[in-house]
Amino acid sequence: MSRFLAEVERRAFQMAKFATRNRDEALDLVQETMLQFVRRYSIRPQQEWKALFYRVLRSRITDWYRRTFVRRKILAWLGRPEEEDPEDPLQSLPDTGNPNPSDHALRQEQRGVLEKAIRALPLRQQQAFLLRAWEGMDLKQTAFVMKCSEGSVKTHYSRAVHTLRGLLEGIRS
Amino acid sequence: MNAKDPEELFLEKVQGLLDHGTENLGSHTERRLEDIRGEALTAAEEKRSRFFPPRRWVLVGSFAMATLAAVGLFFWLSPSATTPPPTGQIEDLEIITSQEQIDFYQNLDFYRWLGSKEIRKRPNGKGL
Repeated sequence: MSRFLAEVERRAFQMAKFATRNRDEALDLVQETMLQFVRRYSIRPQQEWKALFYRVLRSRITDWYRRTFVRRKILAWLGRPEEEDPEDPLQSLPDTGNPNPSDHALRQEQRGVLEKAIRALPLRQQQAFLLRAWEGMDLKQTAFVMKCSEGSVKTHYSRAVHTLRGLLEGIRS
Repeated sequence: MNAKDPEELFLEKVQGLLDHGTENLGSHTERRLEDIRGEALTAAEEKRSRFFPPRRWVLVGSFAMATLAAVGLFFWLSPSATTPPPTGQIEDLEIITSQEQIDFYQNLDFYRWLGSKEIRKRPNGKGL
């Protein structure tokens, strides 16, 4: 269990951060996900863990999304400004261990563009893209995680790829 | 040569960049993730120990053994079905199942006493 959690925690954190755009909120979601996952599914066969873990994570992100939507509506109604999501200062620190600084800078820039583009995607497209393209899940697994049909996954994924390809022409080359 | 599909190349590039993003999350985030993992593992351990609580199994086992022993003792001490019932029980059964008035049997001593009185009253000692 320890090895499994260590394997998924970083990607889970990044996925939560793409959705929330906030480090602390993302960490809270990972915490809720891990606790719920071990309480409910730790006795299930190990080969089912990955899909079940991401299913819990997706569910927690969706709940967060709903809560935040309502909170933002109330704040807008009260006339208060929306909370700004602070950018992680560690992301902009130079990596001194890299032998080729220009290559690293290019990579950092590309990553910044990609992450911004992923954050801009609608939540369902973002989830379908990350689960399929990054986690390497097949249609069936992705549909199970997202609690929708395989057809819906195909639609969300292809729309996400289409949008990202348009936005990331520089990365393709 | 196998030229890679541009779509495939694009996805490979995306995967590489996303993986690169998880390599250095910062010491605060990494420490917090470690803490979260530790907390989750403790919860998993608690869950496992609640699922198989040793003390509860001992209690359940003892109760089952005691119940079995009590049932066994009951059957061992109870009379078997083949043993004939005592004579008194048969008489009682005949009285209960008979069509006669039960009052007659309850006052049997009185009728005996009455009978003996009648016999004593007659000079020749003969009955009616």
